[in-house]
Amino acid sequence: MKLLKTLALAAAVSMTMPAALASPETSAMAEPAPGEILMAEVNGLVCDFCAQSIRKIVGRDEAVQKVHVDLSRGQVRVDLKPGRSLDDAALGKLIRKAGYSLVSVDRNAAK
Amino acid sequence: MPPRYLAAGLALAALAAPASARPVSYEGGWTLMQDNNGMYSSLHAHYSPTATDSIGLYVEQNQDMDQTFTGLQYNRLVRRWNAPDSQGNLYLKLGAGAVAPFGDGETEPGSFAGVAADWETRRVFVSYDVRARDFGADESLSHAARLGVAPYVAEFGELHTWAMVQVENHPEAEEPVTVTPLLRFFKGPLLVEAGYTLEEEEFLLNWTWRF
Repeated sequence: MKLLKTLALAAAVSMTMPAALASPETSAMAEPAPGEILMAEVNGLVCDFCAQSIRKIVGRDEAVQKVHVDLSRGQVRVDLKPGRSLDDAALGKLIRKAGYSLVSVDRNAAK
Repeated sequence: MPPRYLAAGLALAALAAPASARPVSYEGGWTLMQDNNGMYSSLHAHYSPTATDSIGLYVEQNQDMDQTFTGLQYNRLVRRWNAPDSQGNLYLKLGAGAVAPFGDGETEPGSFAGVAADWETRRVFVSYDVRARDFGADESLSHAARLGVAPYVAEFGELHTWAMVQVENHPEAEEPVTVTPLLRFFKGPLLVEAGYTLEEEEFLLNWTWRF
């Protein structure tokens, strides 16, 4: 009888437990793959206003999750949202809207 | 930018209307710019519908001429040179509005036109600005040039510091040529400049906020 009560309690607890806590394997399987990372070489990046412009304009695009500007290297790292894409022409247009010039895009740098 | 343009900019700096920062922002960006020195205080609030244009309010209170100009200013980025380690810009500035004397007096139409050029790396800054104005009693042509160096190179979000010298030429003024050593501090969206004009013994305080 005691064994039956224990099993019943265990069953009740497992049914009310949130899915995320159920098992690490289940959680890992549900997590989406990370988005693509683009490394763009940009001309004209010399000050914080430049970096701010790039972050504001590129960051507004729906495909973009995060933007990081490296003034020393003249590079812009663009983290895309999982499952989203941004081709070179579209990125070049965003960079131009910010007032700068896209030189090249490396889609393998972060791999 | 080719070296000959830099040489021309430096030559113009020897001649000596201030412009504390770039007058055009990114598409959809707003900027507030305020300049204060012994001769005048000004406020320019502008919006950039594109990366090459901006338009906004310009108010200038001129203590020397005892008058206030209030109007619209349009700025056009005529040309930008983006290079791997530098950037150069050529701007056109146009303004139109009304000039009112301090106290009682008749308000008159006023206008100005200017051209500004700058070139900078992360270590060196050079700029030149010429402005012609018709502010009623004040019809003049003025020049300003700057040369600046950054003692260290800072990353985005860190404090950027510049040591600069501004030389101004106002031919009709009591002191036609003035020299202002100044420090520029730049962090994120805020730029602040503080200096001292030697000939007029006046302080300079400018700030720009971009958002």
